[in-house]
Amino acid sequence: MGLDADNNLIDQQGPGFIITSVDKLVNWARTGSMWPVTFGLACCAIEMMHAGAARYDTDRFGVFFRPSPRQSDVMIVAGTLVNKMAPALRKVYDQMAEPKWVISMGSCANGGGYYHHSYSVVRGCDQILPVDIYVPGCPPTSEALINGIIELQEKIKKEESVAHG
Amino acid sequence: MDNQRKIEILEKKLEAYDIDVSLNQSNPEIKVNREQLIEVSHALKKNEAYEILIDVIAVDYLTYGNADWKTNDATHTGYSRAVKPTIIPDIDDTFEDRFAVFYQLLSVTDNQRLTLKVFASESNPPTVPSLIDIWSSADWFEREAFDLMGIHFEGHPDLRRILTDYGFIGHPFRKDFPTNGNLEVVYDEKKGEVVYQPVSISTRPGVPRVIRNQND
Repeated sequence: MGLDADNNLIDQQGPGFIITSVDKLVNWARTGSMWPVTFGLACCAIEMMHAGAARYDTDRFGVFFRPSPRQSDVMIVAGTLVNKMAPALRKVYDQMAEPKWVISMGSCANGGGYYHHSYSVVRGCDQILPVDIYVPGCPPTSEALINGIIELQEKIKKEESVAHG
Repeated sequence: MDNQRKIEILEKKLEAYDIDVSLNQSNPEIKVNREQLIEVSHALKKNEAYEILIDVIAVDYLTYGNADWKTNDATHTGYSRAVKPTIIPDIDDTFEDRFAVFYQLLSVTDNQRLTLKVFASESNPPTVPSLIDIWSSADWFEREAFDLMGIHFEGHPDLRRILTDYGFIGHPFRKDFPTNGNLEVVYDEKKGEVVYQPVSISTRPGVPRVIRNQND
């Protein structure tokens, strides 16, 4: 067993040892088990549920929804974030353990979208928390969300988890 | 039953009250005085079998009839002339004929719907008697109308805001409330919490720019 240059697990014939960097190993583990917190806000959440259900099945990427922010690595902001919800969203984000990432799903979460000029809607969830990946669409299809998840995996693979002196 | 006949029967049955019966689609619409709203509602429920209050609707007539622009030729002359502030008439503290409340009633017995219309008082806040004792479903409907339109329902036991943010000021569905609102929320890194700040975008007309006639 070992990891190739693209962090893919490869099955090698031969002696039972692997050579890789700690960064790659850690990132391989992280990208293989990104557990999003169950946090749906609007119609985008329906597409998010589709992505998690049998047809698209994000379990294939090690992505399955957790009922607690304490057990989660990723927050998918799926839907319209209103002013009243913003403190609750931030609280859930703060409760997540490091390292943590955020996917902003759909026009409303990206920048207010259809409700940009509304008196009650946050004009983009990046006003409230740091966002890693923006998935466009209204709502984005399940495929688009899965593409966003894969993009996040690619982003995490480039991270350096160990401090290099 | 013939529509005209429906109106005549209703007028006859409710002739003790100062009401105005008309037709809305094929359903009767009754305009009633504030003072007689509760009595008429009682009569409608007990005698006419309107058992269910489907919805309560509040209307603000402040800019009624004033368009931001003439919509008929909007596509011929482009968009730019449409961008000008909404005309808000001078507001004094009287709300005469400004706020109306509509009640949508349903009679399951007769398979019949009816609209009850009442204008709120001209005082501040505009007031209408609560119908919660007659139809208990009025509870949240009236709270919503209070929250968004600022109509006071006299006799409601728990008239709190129901939808808007905690500590929200103003009534957002009123025509003189800015569409953008007055506050927006951001996360303050130093304080470590979500804080309010004055809104950072400006208001723009929200009325559709193209309205097509049915026969076009």
